[in-house]
Amino acid sequence: MPGPLAGIRVADFTWVWAGPTCTLQLAHMGAEVIRMESTRRICALRMLPPWPGGQPNPNASGYFNQYNQGKRGILLDISKPEGVDIAKKIVAMSDVAAENFAGGIINRMGLGYEELRKVKPDIVMISMSGYGQTGPDSGFVSYGPAQVPLAGLSQLTGYIGSPPMHVGMSYGDPNAGLHAAFAVLSALIYRERTGEGQYIDMSQWESTMAVLGDGIMNYTMNGEQPPRMGNRAHDMAPHGVFRCAAGEPPAPGLPENERWISIACGSDEEFQALCGVMERPELADDPRYSTLAVRKANEDALEAAVEKWTLTQEPFDAMRRLQAAGVAAFPPLMNKELAEDPHLNARRFFVEKEHAHPEVGVRMHAGIPWRMSGTPCEVWRAAPVMGQDNDYVYGELLGMSTQQIADLVEREVIR
Amino acid sequence: MPRALEGLRVLEINATGAASYATKLMADLGADVVKVEEISGDPDRQLGPFPGGKQHSEMSGTFLYLNCNKQGVTLNLHNPAGRDLLDRLLAGADVLVHDYAPPAAAELGLTYERIGPANPRLVMTSITPFGQDGPYRDYKAYDLTTLSAGGWTWLNGWPGITEEPPLKPFGRQSALQAGANAAVATMGAVFGRLRSGRGQHVDVSAQECITSILEFAFELWPYMGVPTVRWGQRPLQPIDMFQCKDGGWIFALCIEEHQWQALVELMETPEWTQWEVSANRFVRASNWDALRPFMEEWVSQWNTDDLYRAAQAKRVPFAPASTLADLLDSNHLKTRGFFVEVAHPEAGVYKYAGAPYKLSQTPWEIRSPAPALGQHNEEVLGPLGADLGALRGAGVV
Repeated sequence: MPGPLAGIRVADFTWVWAGPTCTLQLAHMGAEVIRMESTRRICALRMLPPWPGGQPNPNASGYFNQYNQGKRGILLDISKPEGVDIAKKIVAMSDVAAENFAGGIINRMGLGYEELRKVKPDIVMISMSGYGQTGPDSGFVSYGPAQVPLAGLSQLTGYIGSPPMHVGMSYGDPNAGLHAAFAVLSALIYRERTGEGQYIDMSQWESTMAVLGDGIMNYTMNGEQPPRMGNRAHDMAPHGVFRCAAGEPPAPGLPENERWISIACGSDEEFQALCGVMERPELADDPRYSTLAVRKANEDALEAAVEKWTLTQEPFDAMRRLQAAGVAAFPPLMNKELAEDPHLNARRFFVEKEHAHPEVGVRMHAGIPWRMSGTPCEVWRAAPVMGQDNDYVYGELLGMSTQQIADLVEREVIR
Repeated sequence: MPRALEGLRVLEINATGAASYATKLMADLGADVVKVEEISGDPDRQLGPFPGGKQHSEMSGTFLYLNCNKQGVTLNLHNPAGRDLLDRLLAGADVLVHDYAPPAAAELGLTYERIGPANPRLVMTSITPFGQDGPYRDYKAYDLTTLSAGGWTWLNGWPGITEEPPLKPFGRQSALQAGANAAVATMGAVFGRLRSGRGQHVDVSAQECITSILEFAFELWPYMGVPTVRWGQRPLQPIDMFQCKDGGWIFALCIEEHQWQALVELMETPEWTQWEVSANRFVRASNWDALRPFMEEWVSQWNTDDLYRAAQAKRVPFAPASTLADLLDSNHLKTRGFFVEVAHPEAGVYKYAGAPYKLSQTPWEIRSPAPALGQHNEEVLGPLGADLGALRGAGVV
């Protein structure tokens, strides 16, 4: 397992999406992440599509496999006292412990920080519940999709004059996982210098508000709830997603007018360049459009003029010509286009081929969004099927005999 | 209290908010961050929101939020003397984080080819829209177009509203995600350096940061050959927003079947929940157009907070669509002390979004407000032997 965290081990009690995103970052950097799972309560992601052929199979979910790449997985029932004892043995051999149950649950399971530090005094432990471990609502249940409205993002997102929106994915989850990984790494750096571990209480709600800090200032400074403004921005115009000419849809089965391009002009020069590409040079000098202030004041008409042109254009062709003129433009890519994107493929962003999965075989997964020059990071293996690393962890790491392992299976501690 | 990143010397040069956010995360856990601004100042100083709506380069809410706990210096990096001062700062730094796109970075000498060999212990992190190589490397991008290139914009819309375009989420989420990823990767590289003594270059692509978090939307293609629709695949239901009696909005969500059962009890088991088309979460999703009106009708009889708490009492994971006022008023957030009051000498005293995490030994904290433009020139550049008077005259600082 290459990367700067080689030699770091993570006892991973996480499930669903937020927690696994945290430990995914650590796995990406070479930590040995050991997921503890049970067939008694299977991770929600294993029970969600996509599955090859649409056939539900907890070992074949693309959703699970995307966010658990490069991790090991064992079966262990931590609702049993003997399971808790084994989990503690794994923690004792680990540097980090991570969990994202609802607030307070991990303590009730006997695996809270006070218990874990008894077996590993310098453990760095992180909890990533929806609401944090303290406060009157700390026991509330939460999932990433609900964090989007809860944190205020839905009221801020939407078309002009239309209801609050979701944002198309469960943003609260991956955002929490990334912030959690940052906190864990900072605590590991502190431990490396001082020898001291610590406990981190992360609230998904609070970490989601951390990326809305600029929006929140509208209210604390001016008592303002910013109106939903579609794709528009205060500091740029045009700034929108415009429909292109009907034609071959981006994927089979989609409507032929589902073709779009996003365009943003951050300066008068960029707007002039846009007018040049549109072959409407007179617009650049038009008193309704010549400065940002007047473009904002006449934005409806401005957008109509831009769309009049984009409706005659093929999106990628328009992108290339706009980019050649120095205008920020890019079509909103859908999954098939991402998979075929020449740039992402040239950067070898996707992970496939050499990391075949025992049940789904070779599939394309999104990879690591950074490159390190000195300690290259790499996904060393596909996500684990349930119990894939039982022999390695129980046998090799914990030194159990084949008979001992069989006994644990018999007593349903390993299940 | 001790600080997790105490003694870590970080230089930051920000253009898009991504570098500022990455180093904000570091500064708030105790790193010593020096923010290098061009003479005209970080562009975020012009972004607002401003108190009373009045533009002022020391009062931009976005800038103030992103730059607490940092020292600020100005340097004209277009001038060789300015670059020389930057090099002297780099000689004493552990980390450099910048987010200049490759063409602009090359012009200012912000390349690892130039900086790395002279500073083998430096961790240099470059955040760009498309990364350091590949055919789109030099493409022009803003947050909106990066969100589109990463695949997020396509996913967002509203079922049935096909005349409206794909929609970006509020704010600069591409910059903030790139910043958060950069912070994670940079800390990994700093940890590696503690053991190896060696620095390195970290290349962060904002496009890839977005493509990495598309939930299951990307995998629908390689696993099933299913194209994503721009109003988002919802493979299970309920996962939907409804308006309540008081005009507020509630997000109705049942991930697991036992949560649905608890919701059915709360609804007092109406007939529609017993139909075959409601039998499980996947079937409900296939028939949601027909079922949704029943749920909408039931929700409309509740006030938002009552329904939220009634659902949670049954461990059903509903949540309200909070307004900003709701957040500031939240008893839970007040008890946890989430919002922090920060006094800035020019802008005044305001509440800011606070700690995303609470570390037991090395707490997140605000030690100082965002710096004024060039506030720490003397303190930071003086010890380097710089003649500030002369440099000022020459337009270098």
